[in-house]
Amino acid sequence: MIVIRNRDLRSVIKVAVPFIIVPLLTFAGSVVFDQKRHIIISLAIAVMALLLFAAGFERKTTGSRRLVIVSVMTALCFAGRFIPFLKPISALTIITALYLGGEAGFLVGAMTAVLTNFYFGQGPWTAFQMLAWGLIGFIAGLLAEPLKRKKALLLIYGALAGVGYSLIMDIWTVLWYAEGFSVKLYLGAIVTAIPYTLSYAVSNVLFLAVLAKPFGEKLDRIKTKYGV
Amino acid sequence: MRSFSEFDPIAVTIWFFSVIGIAMFSGHPLVMSISLAGAILFFIVRNGLRHGRSHLFFLILFIVLALANPIISHNGATVLFVLNNAPVTLEALLYGINSAAMIVGVLYWFRSFTQIMTSEKVLRIAGAISPKLSLILSMSLRAVPMFAHRAKQVSDAQKAMGLYNDDNIIDDLRGRMRVFSIIATWALENGIITADSMTARGYGTGRRTQLRRFRFSSSDAAFTLVTLALLGVSAAAVASGALDFNFYPHIEADVKGAAGISGAAAYGALVLLPVIIETEVSIRWKYLQSRI
Repeated sequence: MIVIRNRDLRSVIKVAVPFIIVPLLTFAGSVVFDQKRHIIISLAIAVMALLLFAAGFERKTTGSRRLVIVSVMTALCFAGRFIPFLKPISALTIITALYLGGEAGFLVGAMTAVLTNFYFGQGPWTAFQMLAWGLIGFIAGLLAEPLKRKKALLLIYGALAGVGYSLIMDIWTVLWYAEGFSVKLYLGAIVTAIPYTLSYAVSNVLFLAVLAKPFGEKLDRIKTKYGV
Repeated sequence: MRSFSEFDPIAVTIWFFSVIGIAMFSGHPLVMSISLAGAILFFIVRNGLRHGRSHLFFLILFIVLALANPIISHNGATVLFVLNNAPVTLEALLYGINSAAMIVGVLYWFRSFTQIMTSEKVLRIAGAISPKLSLILSMSLRAVPMFAHRAKQVSDAQKAMGLYNDDNIIDDLRGRMRVFSIIATWALENGIITADSMTARGYGTGRRTQLRRFRFSSSDAAFTLVTLALLGVSAAAVASGALDFNFYPHIEADVKGAAGISGAAAYGALVLLPVIIETEVSIRWKYLQSRI
């Protein structure tokens, strides 16, 4: 795998990949190739972003305690996806990110997507779900300080994350169906997805409101007790 | 001879991604038909006539997807009829059917993929890319039944102590929340102990081993080579535009030249590879049984 030794360069890449390179490549791809290739390009980029992340993670000396905590949180998310209508995954991902950092948040989100799809069916969407949930966690990690201080902000972030997740997945639906981006189809997809969008946003707000404090305390306690 | 699902996970994954990649990349009705028909055939060869519900679901999905496009898109020259002052065209309908065939085909492929690639096999592949991520995955997989078992114990204990009863909704909900909270605390603490135990036993000092031995044998290599060769031919045909297809404004249906024909034929062969293997295996099995 790719080895990047310079610490500064690594941290630059960590931010640059999701926020600059991925959108840029998507844009370049849509200009260079004709419309048909959108879906493949977006898929390739999603996979590449995930691989880059995996490579960076693999290089780091992450303590086994941290690894296990991430897998425990993933398992809790996994169990949560079987609750009908309400999905605590994003909420738990955000909480993990707040207390253990953006990287842990990304991991919990992305890994939960893979795991749950063993039951709900893997598909090309797995890569997009991984990226979408991962980014929800990663961004929450970047915004950890203000989100931890003000509960209102946290709830707003949760609602936005739910809507954002749905919008990202709708882009993917349209790309898959039409082999090219069509605003009309996108609007159609958004309208048909409204119940889901609402359920995501509502469950995020609900679970963040209920779980943020107790879970934060638990994670904080573990952190001070064992120094994760 | 092993059945297709017993092939090395790497060989199986390369084959699935080749088939699905071409199906998603091409967009030519001929390729779509091959993909959809092949996917259904493969599913039936593996599962028999069970899973009638899935077939029904896919059929309904196919119809909905096929009809969605002509209702939304009004491109195309041949107007069939006018609905709410908007023309419904033949081209848009065919385009919808084509897209539906692609999506339903890929869904069928992935249904089979999920059946064959059990979590253990996925871990084998993930382990090749990133051992740490693969460890997280496998530990989470193990943790879920462990949590469920533990939750049952905690909930039973709480009920026995008379802390909550489930005939009162609010009481039940609060009880469940308490059980969840207990489980979460316990899971985190238990995780730390697991981690310390792992470190004490030398986690990270050597290569990770697998529960099952996977060996990339010569037949896996042969299968992969054939897969890649067929993929090469059909990908070349798609990339060179020999399998292009225009729906708008008029349908231009032609498979251009030798490249197009060989590309479609190669894709057909690629799709049928495992069906041939499965059939061969089951014939041989029946033959061997008949001699007992």
